[in-house]
Amino acid sequence: MEDVLVPIMVCAMLFVAMPWIILHYITRWKQQSGITNADENLLEELYEVARRLDDRLHTIERIMAAETPELEARRPAPELPRADIRKIRER
Amino acid sequence: MSESRTKFYVNKQNKKWLGVCAGIADYMGWDVTLVRVGMVVITIAGAFPWSLIAYLATNWVAKERPYGLYSDREEEQFWQGVRRSPARTTREVRGKLRDIDRRLADVELHYTSRNRALADEIDSLR
Repeated sequence: MEDVLVPIMVCAMLFVAMPWIILHYITRWKQQSGITNADENLLEELYEVARRLDDRLHTIERIMAAETPELEARRPAPELPRADIRKIRER
Repeated sequence: MSESRTKFYVNKQNKKWLGVCAGIADYMGWDVTLVRVGMVVITIAGAFPWSLIAYLATNWVAKERPYGLYSDREEEQFWQGVRRSPARTTREVRGKLRDIDRRLADVELHYTSRNRALADEIDSLR
């Protein structure tokens, strides 16, 4: 009886219990560290909005600085639009 | 959005052999050469068949990086940050939006105070 039971137990542990535990921890780890697809889309949209707003505000700051030279002395405005700076940086 | 930017891709556009090292470099934001040298060093230092098996398995499992995944360098760096730490990148985006808010407040203050100055001058002319 013992001779039959021990190999079956070992097989069950090896091929059922171990993959179960491993898969369980893999799914848990994935839930913790990764972000979901919806989160990813949201983050992308926020990033795009921030970038576009930044570009527009840059343009407005440049116009403002050109209109009022006394402000320029206090807080120098960027000379180029943000998109141009980005192009130069990429080269 | 069609393709996920948080997945691992094999980079066939920048490959030496199968593009796995270039994919790792893209994913983590490391230098491609360093990843390749590290891979060779590990292989020589004793992981001979295993690193090769892992390399081939990765190539088999991972999808090819779609062309034009990022529109420019800045976007690529942003997504590398997201993959490393989503929480930190989210905080950075929040910081950026707050910065925009502050600057916009400056602009608003400037224009509203100038209108005030103009109104004062008109009043003085009366």
